[in-house]
Amino acid sequence: MTRVVLWSISGLVLGLIIHLTLILALPHFQQNAVWAKISQLGEPGELLTLNQSLTDTENVLGLDPEMAYAVCRFDLSIGPGVLSGPLPDDFWSIGIFDSDGLAVYSTTNRSGVGKSLELGIFNTLQTRLLAEQQIALQEGLLIIESPQNEIFAVVRLAPPHPAMRDRYKDLLKQLRCGHLDRNDITSGIGDQG
Amino acid sequence: MRIGFHFLLMVFIALLTGIGLSYFALADGGLFGAYRINAWTAWPQAGSPNPDPYTRAFVARSGALQLGSAEGIQFVASRDSEGQLLQRTCNYRLMGTTPVASFWTLRAVATNGRSTTPRGSPQNLQSNRLSRTNIGAAILQVGPELAPQNWLEIEGEGPFDLILTLYDASIFAGFGSTISELPTITNKGCS
Repeated sequence: MTRVVLWSISGLVLGLIIHLTLILALPHFQQNAVWAKISQLGEPGELLTLNQSLTDTENVLGLDPEMAYAVCRFDLSIGPGVLSGPLPDDFWSIGIFDSDGLAVYSTTNRSGVGKSLELGIFNTLQTRLLAEQQIALQEGLLIIESPQNEIFAVVRLAPPHPAMRDRYKDLLKQLRCGHLDRNDITSGIGDQG
Repeated sequence: MRIGFHFLLMVFIALLTGIGLSYFALADGGLFGAYRINAWTAWPQAGSPNPDPYTRAFVARSGALQLGSAEGIQFVASRDSEGQLLQRTCNYRLMGTTPVASFWTLRAVATNGRSTTPRGSPQNLQSNRLSRTNIGAAILQVGPELAPQNWLEIEGEGPFDLILTLYDASIFAGFGSTISELPTITNKGCS
């Protein structure tokens, strides 16, 4: 009987180890991760307005049908990312996520950005060059530092009424998404990213 | 022979404990990392840069776009306030208040993420477009049968989830309101 109890306790301890291993390993082996889905939709620097049909079918990204979405993927090894364009008076939000789907930065219309978005996303090296004033940027650029090169931005707009959805989707299409080029930067960050 | 039996017993208990704990930690959100109140479950750290390992595993497993902590928070209910699984053949009434937020949405989805609302019907309820009483309260009705006040129609058979998304919510920012303010889900009968 004592042996059965000891073997059972050993089983419990081994089970806890299996549990912790599964929890810690899952993010590294999950094939269904959001990054894989975003990557299938388009190339880095390409603005994608997510289609409403996604919510009618499997809704693999868990989209809220109330919202209008745009997604842009960045590869900061190409150069700093930029997301700019007009925003509505109503609610909007922006989230920057890393390749694990974890939020690096998020903000909403309450941040005081106004009706025009100018967002620059820099990796650690680029941020350091920025701090050392080796990069000169346009004034008014909201600077975000990302620990990873592979990230994506999600812009959410909330149309006040479903009938206004198309107008808000048009607004999303006016956003500029891409990587800063030499015309935007006085120092050659593209060589060092 | 006896050692073999003991070894198999240990492996059985280990697999049951390891896989079972992981399933309940992530699927039901009941163990660690998740915040539960009434029938609702949320993962408050899902929108933060450095979440705990359980939230990190949940984000990876869900494969869905998360809300950054400044953007809002999402609550999911798979059961009513009595603890019974939500069924698409049943009618539910949601009563109570919600935490402070710019607005919120309520939608119903099947376990595979597909909407359970008929095509052509409103896919969700939005807090700024609700019928309210004189004191500002709103009663939400979810089910296949037409109901007064604010009705979210669902169809089909099988279990479903209710997803309550609060945008620009301040509940985890330390001001505004408390997490105890979430609607109860009452089963009003099944067809």
